Amino acid sequence: MIVALVGNQNSGKTTLFNALTGANQKVGNWPGVTIERKEGHVKGTDITVVDLPGIYSLSPYSNEEKISRNFVLEHHPDLIINIVDATSLERSLYLTTQLLETGVNMIVALNMFDLVKKRNIHIDKDKLEKALNTTIVDISAKTGEGIDHLLEHVKKYDVKENKLLNIYPSDVHDVLVSVRKDLAKADIENDYFYAVKTFEGEEDYAKHISSSTKEKMLQVQKKYDMDGEELIASLRYDFIDELKKESFTNEEIEIREKQANKKLSWTDKLDKIFLNKWAAIPIFIVIMALVYILSVGLVGGLTVSFVDALFNGSEEIEFNFFGLVWTAPFEIAGIGPGLGGWLESIGASPWAVSLVADGIVAGVGAVCNFVPQLIILFICLSLLETTGYMSRISFLLDRIFHKFGLSGKSLVPFVVGVGCSVPGIMASRTIEDENERKATTILTPFMPCSAKLPIISAFAGFFFGTFAWLVSLSFYFMAIIVILLFGIVMKKFIFKGSHTTYISELPEYKTPSFTYVFRDVVDRTGAFLKRAGTIILLCSVAVWFLGSFTWEFKYVDGTDILINDSLLANVGMTFAWIFAPMLGGNMSWGAAVAALTGLVAKEEVIGSMTTIAALAGENVELFSEADVIFNFFNPITAFAFMSFNLFSAPCFGALGAMKNELGSTKSMLKSALFLTGFAWLVASIIGSISWIITAAGGTL
Amino acid sequence: MKNKHMHIVAGEIVRLSLLKRGEQGKVISLQNDNKALRRRLLDMGITKGVKIEIKKIAPLGDPIDVKLRGYELCLRKADMAEIMVEKL
Repeated sequence: MIVALVGNQNSGKTTLFNALTGANQKVGNWPGVTIERKEGHVKGTDITVVDLPGIYSLSPYSNEEKISRNFVLEHHPDLIINIVDATSLERSLYLTTQLLETGVNMIVALNMFDLVKKRNIHIDKDKLEKALNTTIVDISAKTGEGIDHLLEHVKKYDVKENKLLNIYPSDVHDVLVSVRKDLAKADIENDYFYAVKTFEGEEDYAKHISSSTKEKMLQVQKKYDMDGEELIASLRYDFIDELKKESFTNEEIEIREKQANKKLSWTDKLDKIFLNKWAAIPIFIVIMALVYILSVGLVGGLTVSFVDALFNGSEEIEFNFFGLVWTAPFEIAGIGPGLGGWLESIGASPWAVSLVADGIVAGVGAVCNFVPQLIILFICLSLLETTGYMSRISFLLDRIFHKFGLSGKSLVPFVVGVGCSVPGIMASRTIEDENERKATTILTPFMPCSAKLPIISAFAGFFFGTFAWLVSLSFYFMAIIVILLFGIVMKKFIFKGSHTTYISELPEYKTPSFTYVFRDVVDRTGAFLKRAGTIILLCSVAVWFLGSFTWEFKYVDGTDILINDSLLANVGMTFAWIFAPMLGGNMSWGAAVAALTGLVAKEEVIGSMTTIAALAGENVELFSEADVIFNFFNPITAFAFMSFNLFSAPCFGALGAMKNELGSTKSMLKSALFLTGFAWLVASIIGSISWIITAAGGTL
Repeated sequence: MKNKHMHIVAGEIVRLSLLKRGEQGKVISLQNDNKALRRRLLDMGITKGVKIEIKKIAPLGDPIDVKLRGYELCLRKADMAEIMVEKL
């Protein structure tokens, strides 16, 4: 049995989906969390639940609505569960009236019933059930109340038959019946649904309508002095208004209206602070800075050296508290050297030892150093999303973003993109306006994602010491400036002069649920670790392999045959000229290889560099004097190389997501080329400064 | 054309974007050439006769959070300018 889950954005749909299927889809307190349809099974049954994107209507104008509409009409689900936010019934039932016209049997799940009771909203379920002639179950997806009851209805298929409820006055209904007859004659499925749509003015089936029916449509529309679309929308709301009088009252709202602002809700009170005319922007800056300082500054500084010691061994470790550095003795063999030593002791060949210590552990470990700070970053992002603050930020910044050809809603992709560009790019789908949406999709990869963090931290940590955090922070600001600049360029030259819109909601503030935040963080960290264990591991082994053998398949032992003769050096050398300008004129095959592997995954830039450095010399600290491959870097070229890696084409995963959102491989490639070209230009300009200084006899 | 500093009296028909915080208007018409946007506004319940209250204004003056039909919705001023209301 196939059950389609349909409801408004932010109605608790994904929460219900998770409760029904035991899956762990992402839940957020901002509209549009479900961006594609997702499927799951109810345990121990043959029931498949399909979670459709959150929608308000079944109009043909937006992609989400088209996806949902096509699914309901063409995939013939056995049942629709229409999840309805019981705290804003009027608007929610608007979609319900449309779903009822599809003829598919339906259960209305009145969600957030716990809040309904708390707020003294009175809903007469029996009357509502009778008026809509459909099955109604009250639930609270969040607390789990009523879910069993709902499941029982589904399992037993204890559902009223959908008899195509008529909600229109007789004059309009008569015309709809004529339209339906014409469509039925033409053998069109879902004739009632399409009759209403044709009345609204959709063209698809207009050719089947007889001229006399057309005349009737025009007459009734003239009588009401509205076109079909407006008339149907008005009549739906009229029907709901009537229903409201009979079966539900929202006492709280009525009381509040009478007392006029005397008793503000929590959300209104908090908004007085977070959306205060003067305080809002400073608060926003402080919150974002806190997120950064907590994760990268505090936790990052305190843990990187420790995790590195676990992988690669150490005698002492370093704690960096915003530039205050102190060291502590910490003697540990480390996984890499430990495994290597053990392999040696059992008589393994030198290349096998090298594969494990230099290839696998060094490469993967370089990426894992950043896990503690990522966990903190993910916790912060999850809190921003679930509390409802994220929606405030987009409300707050829309005015600015709008000027730059973006939407306030672009902020969600950008902030989510700090974690990972892929969900960031997907989140751009909630933006109404096509141009703003495309611009957001193309620009989201500019945000330094969590995989780029290792690049920033490694370079900045070595070259900028005390000011490392400042340099890292500067990349986020640079990213924002670049995004706004390109926004305006695209608005002026590519997407000229079209009208754009912003329609959104400010969800109520919610106390974040510990379980959700926990699950979300475990999920995201798991995904990061999974990459470290799969794609990064493979890539590190490939880099190790190419770096350990020559064209003649001779092992690079570091004494007779040097790494500069390796396959990797040969491959890298063919690309090195591209990177020479940003590296102050240095032809570095190592840097070229690192940048190329960054296409597979951005973390791999540092993974490759660490592997290459480990192959070239034992126990070498990256970028130090002893690191013969990368010791040419100076602060300027380091900054240039970081810029290139941050702003160039994102990883393959993000490119795939871009392709989906932009709709074609061609647009994706164009965007990737544009991103990379821009990154190259910026990096080369910065790198050239180093060139000029050294050419003039200066040292860096 | 009314300018935004002028006082609007009850019963006057004005653009929704001209109402101030806490003021209410009854929708008279939707004048919009953008079909998708017009439909979206209709879908959100902005139909003839519905009462809309200005609830919250973004710190930078735009967008604006309005209340109608028991829920709240954020709109840009430019879009609100195409909704004619009778001030209540």
